[in-house]
Amino acid sequence: MTEAILQAQGLHKKFDEVYAVKGVSFDIKAGEIFSLLGPNGAGKTTTISMLSCLLTPTEGDAKVDGFSVTGEANQVKQAIGVVPQEIALYPTISAKENLQFWGRMYGLRGKHLQERVDATLDIAGLADRADGKVETFSGGMKRRINIAVGLLHNPKILFMDEPTVGIDPQSRRRILDTVQELNKLGLAVLNTTHYMEEAQELSDRIGIIDNGELIATGTLDELIKMVGEYDTVRLCLDVDGQKIEDVIEPLKSLPEVKQVSPGEDCVMIQVPDSENILGDMVGRVTQAGAHIRSLEIQEPNLEAVFLHLTGRALRD
Amino acid sequence: MKALTIAWKDTITRLRDWRAIVGFIVAPLAISAVIGLAFGGTFRAETAIQDIKLVIVNLDSGELGQVYSTVLTSDDLVDLFLITEMDDYEAALELVETGETRGVVYIPEDFSDELFANVSATDGSYNPVSVEVTTDPASSISPFIITSVVDQISVSINTLLLSGQVGVEQVLAYAAQLGPELAELANIVPGVIEQAATDPGANQLGLDVVQVGEAQQDISPFSYFAPSMAIFFLMFSMTDGARSILQEETRGTLPRLITTPTPFAEIILGKIGGTFLTGIIQFIVLVLASSLLFGLNWGPSPLALALLVLATVSASTGLGALISSITPTEAQAGIVGSSVTMVFAALGGNFALASALPDYLQIPSRLTINRWSLDGFVKLANDGRGLEGVLPEIGVLFVMAVVFFVLSVVLFQRRFVR
Repeated sequence: MTEAILQAQGLHKKFDEVYAVKGVSFDIKAGEIFSLLGPNGAGKTTTISMLSCLLTPTEGDAKVDGFSVTGEANQVKQAIGVVPQEIALYPTISAKENLQFWGRMYGLRGKHLQERVDATLDIAGLADRADGKVETFSGGMKRRINIAVGLLHNPKILFMDEPTVGIDPQSRRRILDTVQELNKLGLAVLNTTHYMEEAQELSDRIGIIDNGELIATGTLDELIKMVGEYDTVRLCLDVDGQKIEDVIEPLKSLPEVKQVSPGEDCVMIQVPDSENILGDMVGRVTQAGAHIRSLEIQEPNLEAVFLHLTGRALRD
Repeated sequence: MKALTIAWKDTITRLRDWRAIVGFIVAPLAISAVIGLAFGGTFRAETAIQDIKLVIVNLDSGELGQVYSTVLTSDDLVDLFLITEMDDYEAALELVETGETRGVVYIPEDFSDELFANVSATDGSYNPVSVEVTTDPASSISPFIITSVVDQISVSINTLLLSGQVGVEQVLAYAAQLGPELAELANIVPGVIEQAATDPGANQLGLDVVQVGEAQQDISPFSYFAPSMAIFFLMFSMTDGARSILQEETRGTLPRLITTPTPFAEIILGKIGGTFLTGIIQFIVLVLASSLLFGLNWGPSPLALALLVLATVSASTGLGALISSITPTEAQAGIVGSSVTMVFAALGGNFALASALPDYLQIPSRLTINRWSLDGFVKLANDGRGLEGVLPEIGVLFVMAVVFFVLSVVLFQRRFVR
């Protein structure tokens, strides 16, 4: 059995009187990509901040490469590479100078530092822009340098906090490919995201986090099995928010419907066999005075899992 | 040492910014040069040689003491002096302390009797008799005017008494002729002083003018405003530099630094160190430029100058760090930093001589980095004092620096290590 590179046990974090993270426990094996999936404000960044020794847990502990985040922070910091959600770079100096600076912060010096700077510039695909000031880079290029900084000291595990937020699809694709290539070389990755597709594509295992609690952990197949054979029907209506409320009860009254979750102008309905009940659903919605703008039947996926576990759509 | 890496990165980043170079080096140099050229060779404001406020405390029961009042209040000197006569010497001195008057002329009891006794002495012995002149040390030229006029009156009295014209009428008549001559003193002060000092007859009767307290030399505007503007802009750059800690927090680079295996105190030390290095470079460039371009002499002791620069930059950096550590956002730190800089500059003498501030502002003035630093630079560049002369200023500034540093590191630690 592969040894765990990270073991989080009962992590809590309280800010003032509010718990941002409540008893989060999970582990990540060496060479594994683990994604924490959850909406904004779910506690993903707080969790990764505690694992990065940026925040001290209110309760609980975690071990990274065998070292405690609460008692052996310096050793933990040597083992981890951190890629924050923000572009945490110095914009007025070049990409190379940024990498040299951050390399020195990880204790790299001389020839070894230069080798690692060159290597990470290659990984980022920006060797030809090494001397360009970061402020002149596109959003995607900045993100790639942001990731390169986290790889400088050859960490055993890479923490990536929403690494693809706010970038174009092409850059996103490149980043995901890079992460997968690094993983093939044995690097473990903890990735936080609120993009279901990203978690689905990238991860060996996924933890679903909501309201500071880790509500499910497993592989994609294991999580989907939790939903069972339910389909998710997404009904979008030509009505305002008040009218959406009007269709909830009629839909819930159908005996086959397991769950109905309202959104801004769409309703997510979980049913075991969507094809047989579709007519009844449309009839109930029409009777309630609403007009259907679009209708989509989704196979079981992470969004359905999240809906199943929380009663809310992930995109909300 | 990682703190040095952080400090050097910050320094290089700042020095590559041409706006910072203009703001922190070119601007203070240009402003002090303009002010220096505008004032000419020395502070010779017209107000210094007109309407000089002077108090006469004449406790002499005889007539000779009256000569001083008569001459000083004569029509010829009416433009030069604004005379007030008082009986309470202590109260008069208090007015000098508070800057309400530029000087006090004190004629003691029995002044006339003792002088006449000296004249009458047949054995050639005499008792020293003094007219005490106290002047405002903060003033530049009025002390010389006052002392010279009083000196000249005393020399005249001496001359008359020696010539045997000891009658009061004769003395008063002669003294009245002094007016036009004395009115010209403003233009010939150095010569008069020299003449009075070398006149062999001046002290033959033991009549002397005693300068009480410290009279200040003229201050060259450039030697005042070059360090003054350097300190003023240094305060700006130091509060701005320390604000970069908050900028790093906003940008996300500070949290990232904390996730590297670097102790937090070393990160803060590096950040403050970067600001400190920038300040040192800023001051060195200003010292060199003002010396080479404008011929300003920064004093006889390079060691004293170096220590004073170090102390000033340390204290300013510490203050900037403290301001950043107690303000929640970068924008607020900017507002508070600028406000503190302006208030400190006004109190500390960056815009006008701090010693001329009213008494109730002297203590607040003494609490500013600017005042201690500027006093030190004026002592070096203007008064030609050495290391010993500016040790108090250097000591106070270093104490301020240590207090500010310790407080800011503790407050930053509380803020960022959660």
